[in-house]
Amino acid sequence: MAVCVAIVGKDNSPKYFCCLNPDEELSFQYKVLSSLDVIEEKLNAGNKGTNDLRELYLGMLYSLETHKIYGYVTNTKIKFVIVVDSTNMALRDNEIRSMFRKLHSEYADIVCNPFYIPGESICSKSFDVSVKNIMTGTV
Amino acid sequence: MNGTAIDDGSTIDRRPLITCAGELEVFSTIEDNLSQALPQDSCEWRRSLGRPVRSVHIGANFAPFSAAALPKGAQWDLIRYPLFHIYWTECTDVDLYKNTVRDDIENWLKELQTRDIPDFLVVVVENYDGKRTNKLLPRTTVLDKIRTDFAPKQGDRCISVINPGKVEARSADSWRGLVSRIRHLLLVAYARAVSRLEDHVRQQRERRNEIGWNFMQYFHLQEELAHVLEMLGVHEEALVQYDELDALFSQFVVNGITGESINWLGDFQKPLEQWHGLKINHSTMLSESPSLLELRAYLFAKQAQMLLKANKVWEMASRCLPFLHLTTREITVLEINSPPGAVSCWLFLACVEVLQVCDKYNNADAVEDYSLHTACLWAYASEKLRDLGELCGLMPGGAPTSEQLHTVVGLSAGMGDNPGAPDSPSPTDKLKEALCSQEAFKKTYLELAELAMCTYKHIGRLRSARLVGREVASFYLLLGETQTAAAFLSDAVRTFEQDKWHELAAQTQIELAECYRKANDTKKFIKTSASVAAALEIDTLIRWSYFDEMRKCLQSLEHPLVVPFNDIIKITSVALKNEAIILQDSTINVELVIESNFPREILCTNVQLSIELDTKEGRKSEKYSKSRVLTGKDLKPRDPLLQRLQIFRHLDLKQDKTLASASVVCKHPEHKRKDSAAAPPKSDFQCCLQVANLPLVVTPGVNVIRLSKQATNVGKHYLGQMAIFMKNLHLISQLLTPRVAFEVKEEAPVVRLHKTDAPLLSGFEQIMNLIITIGSYTVEPKSRIKLTASRGLSFQTDPSEPLTTSLEIELGERPPFSSTRTPLRVLADLLTKDHQVSISCPWTSKPIVVKLSFTPPLTTIWRLNTVQHRKFVQINVTGQCEKDIYVEKPQLSVGDFCKIVDRNHSSSHCAFRLPESDTDFCATLRSAKPCRDAPPHHSSGAPPRTSSPVDSIAFNSGASLRAEAEGGMNYSATRDAADSCWTKLYKRGELRAAGSWNFSRRQTAENYSKQVIKSPDIWTPIEIIHKWLCFKPLQAEKML
Repeated sequence: MAVCVAIVGKDNSPKYFCCLNPDEELSFQYKVLSSLDVIEEKLNAGNKGTNDLRELYLGMLYSLETHKIYGYVTNTKIKFVIVVDSTNMALRDNEIRSMFRKLHSEYADIVCNPFYIPGESICSKSFDVSVKNIMTGTV
Repeated sequence: MNGTAIDDGSTIDRRPLITCAGELEVFSTIEDNLSQALPQDSCEWRRSLGRPVRSVHIGANFAPFSAAALPKGAQWDLIRYPLFHIYWTECTDVDLYKNTVRDDIENWLKELQTRDIPDFLVVVVENYDGKRTNKLLPRTTVLDKIRTDFAPKQGDRCISVINPGKVEARSADSWRGLVSRIRHLLLVAYARAVSRLEDHVRQQRERRNEIGWNFMQYFHLQEELAHVLEMLGVHEEALVQYDELDALFSQFVVNGITGESINWLGDFQKPLEQWHGLKINHSTMLSESPSLLELRAYLFAKQAQMLLKANKVWEMASRCLPFLHLTTREITVLEINSPPGAVSCWLFLACVEVLQVCDKYNNADAVEDYSLHTACLWAYASEKLRDLGELCGLMPGGAPTSEQLHTVVGLSAGMGDNPGAPDSPSPTDKLKEALCSQEAFKKTYLELAELAMCTYKHIGRLRSARLVGREVASFYLLLGETQTAAAFLSDAVRTFEQDKWHELAAQTQIELAECYRKANDTKKFIKTSASVAAALEIDTLIRWSYFDEMRKCLQSLEHPLVVPFNDIIKITSVALKNEAIILQDSTINVELVIESNFPREILCTNVQLSIELDTKEGRKSEKYSKSRVLTGKDLKPRDPLLQRLQIFRHLDLKQDKTLASASVVCKHPEHKRKDSAAAPPKSDFQCCLQVANLPLVVTPGVNVIRLSKQATNVGKHYLGQMAIFMKNLHLISQLLTPRVAFEVKEEAPVVRLHKTDAPLLSGFEQIMNLIITIGSYTVEPKSRIKLTASRGLSFQTDPSEPLTTSLEIELGERPPFSSTRTPLRVLADLLTKDHQVSISCPWTSKPIVVKLSFTPPLTTIWRLNTVQHRKFVQINVTGQCEKDIYVEKPQLSVGDFCKIVDRNHSSSHCAFRLPESDTDFCATLRSAKPCRDAPPHHSSGAPPRTSSPVDSIAFNSGASLRAEAEGGMNYSATRDAADSCWTKLYKRGELRAAGSWNFSRRQTAENYSKQVIKSPDIWTPIEIIHKWLCFKPLQAEKML
């Protein structure tokens, strides 16, 4: 389903990065980084309007020939980015949403871990496994 | 444009057809007026199915009535047939009407009714002339007749109009009435036709999965609906039709690959032969069997047209990129063969065309709206052009092969011809030119990329702009313009570092390093190599190789090169080891913990930590540390965006100072752009802490470095920045913030005059201590301290010298922080109490004044007691000081004329009452012989010596004393058991002169000294007695 998942802190620094294909990680990093522009834009626009504050899902941030990039922002401004292969036409918005929700709950679990210092990058095997499961849609 | 003929007439005219019957010559005079007037005003279009009422403009074409052309009532394509029918007559004569016109109308109407056509109108044109208006109105008019004959229930189907050929006020009114009536009735008819068409479209769509259904047929059908809506001016709804077609097609493609193949889809899978642009501005017809590209381009062009007509330029721009992505994806999904580069050409043309269209709408609002979407189009176009450049061998540094030239020719042919104006070349012109030569390609590519970056920056997408910048940099690198490339790359590095995407930053640093290597810029190469070597994200082998190269380059470095620490070396903690205030000339010790990210050990030729003197200016802007230790938490730079907001109370006061409103305000700190972060300023390393043992080896990872320095300069200082020197490579840290302050103080020399713990007594010499303490700095050895005494006080340091009132002491060679004690002999005159010593030192302008307070050691009271004839003189001697004083051999001298008989208790058990009246002893004065010759007021001159030894007496306070006789009048007084060391008197003094007492003090028992004090205090009462004796010698004699 997803080919890349990234968690970006409130200061826009990467906290977690995971790709199905590790060789492509660098190119995905560039993609995710530029999607931060759009996330910031959407967040700033959200301040002006009367957007539903409970809506964390930002929708598609932008699309490339080969990939589509979706965003999600928690209330504490932690950004989740999911990159999806755009040839996968079967993937609907709802599925992306549910991926984000699962990712959010996994992230919440990680933050609850007393050994994790908030703001540090996430380095946890179990988190890796659960994120991979979310990406491949096995959960 | 609404409803009128479409600009270039190439699309089908979908205006409804109105037929005209009756007296056509009447109609022909007003036809032009009517066809112009109809679309001028809007009319409400009510539709079924609860859809919103739209205000539309409707136009019409006119044709003579012909029964053959009429549609059948149940047809779905009513829209293509005459919809509305008007019968025109000029007949005003009722009789004439009855004879001819009525039949004619009847026939006409019959034709319509057989085909179930309810949409007709009968117009009676009246020609007024001056004469008729004067006549009486006829009872019935032709109009009334027609109404009753043909439309008894539909009064609105008949209307009379004053011939508009003649301009009159009344005719204008009736004309307006006619036009609006036609408009309304026509729309009613038209709406019915449209809904019939809609139903048909829906039906057809339902059948889409049936075999034999063809997309293109359906496409044309629904497009007809779109045309109708477009004609009516409801562009949004026309757009919906195209969007539906778009979505339907996409769905077919998706299903086509997953499910069973669809026959008609095969038509779109033929190889591409043409890749013309979108042609948004030219309404072209879609060919019978279009290619996928043609269909998609046509659909998008139509959508774009609708959006532009609805004035939604931004939406058109925003739809472009997804559309292009979708199309390319469909090309791959459908496995459509195309010559290499063809799709890129098409994509480029589409992007540039949309951008050109956007460019036409260059009013500020529109630009603001569409820039958000055009930026990525610019980027996409430049990307595609670059792909083409690579394909055709147009990239710098290469030359196109003949095969590549062939490709260019093929691609250019496929683009077709679409020449633009000479001053504004069409996208096709542009692309063809760009593919012609390397120079033109370079120019076009850089222009597009530049525009992409500018637009990205304009809309605030800095990161995206940097990514384009990276691409451009690689192009410049091929061009050999390393300077420009380096500029773009370092911008990118800075942005990545700001966002803390270290891996990207490191990767870009490698590119940057290569760029500098190519440019032979050793200094910058060293700089970037250092960064690469210290980047933890990068493979160790790469880091090693850059580290080694950096070291190699360092050998050839002639001048110092300053490189900021950045991530190469991190300071994890700073601790000032000194406690409290640092005194001058003591050592300042600082312990630094640093983390070296270099992959190998480095040999530091010097390690320094600068010290800055506190200057008043600029103090507010910096943060100061309260403690002397900075740990990782303090050293972490703070993100201004994440700081707590400052919220203040805000009161609005009215003019009369009463409260108007109270609120809280948040003073939002201004956020400055951070992309111009300057390198740390190199502070002055003149005054710095240093490492004792050089060279120092800094290993990868954590290192503890101890730096020290002798504090020479007095004042408040801050730790500045750290520098690590590797030969000529000077690694410099940022200023250590929050600032760690320490104060270096000097201590001035101090002169103190201390008395011993006993109170000072006047009248005899005592020892005081003059203590001179040298401070933190040495004092000139020849400087002198001058002591000046007040009147009645004298002193001397030298035990052998006589006392003096003014004394100078030379300091001599003394080391700092040394202290010396000089005993000072002090003597105050017996009757004086308060004295002062002023000490003037060379280091202070103001003399130090020491106040000394002396107390007299004894007071005496005399009392004359009479017992019968005898007179007794009682002398009370009271000790005034707190400590004990020995009085040895007190003697009372009176003149020769009287003899003193001692009446003291000889058993020497004399108890002294203490404290007020320390001692009682009685002396009986016995006059030896009367002295008449004595002068009556004898006040001076020594009385005759008649010595009567008085025992030594101890005066003290606080304890009862026992005096013991030790032969004769000598008392050796011992104290109570409480103080056993109070012992004996060592020596005996003699009162040589009257009133002279011999004291000794127990405290200085070891240095026991004998002093003879002339005591006028005691002298006086004796004199008085003496006088008294003088006056009354006889009496005294008698008494005695």
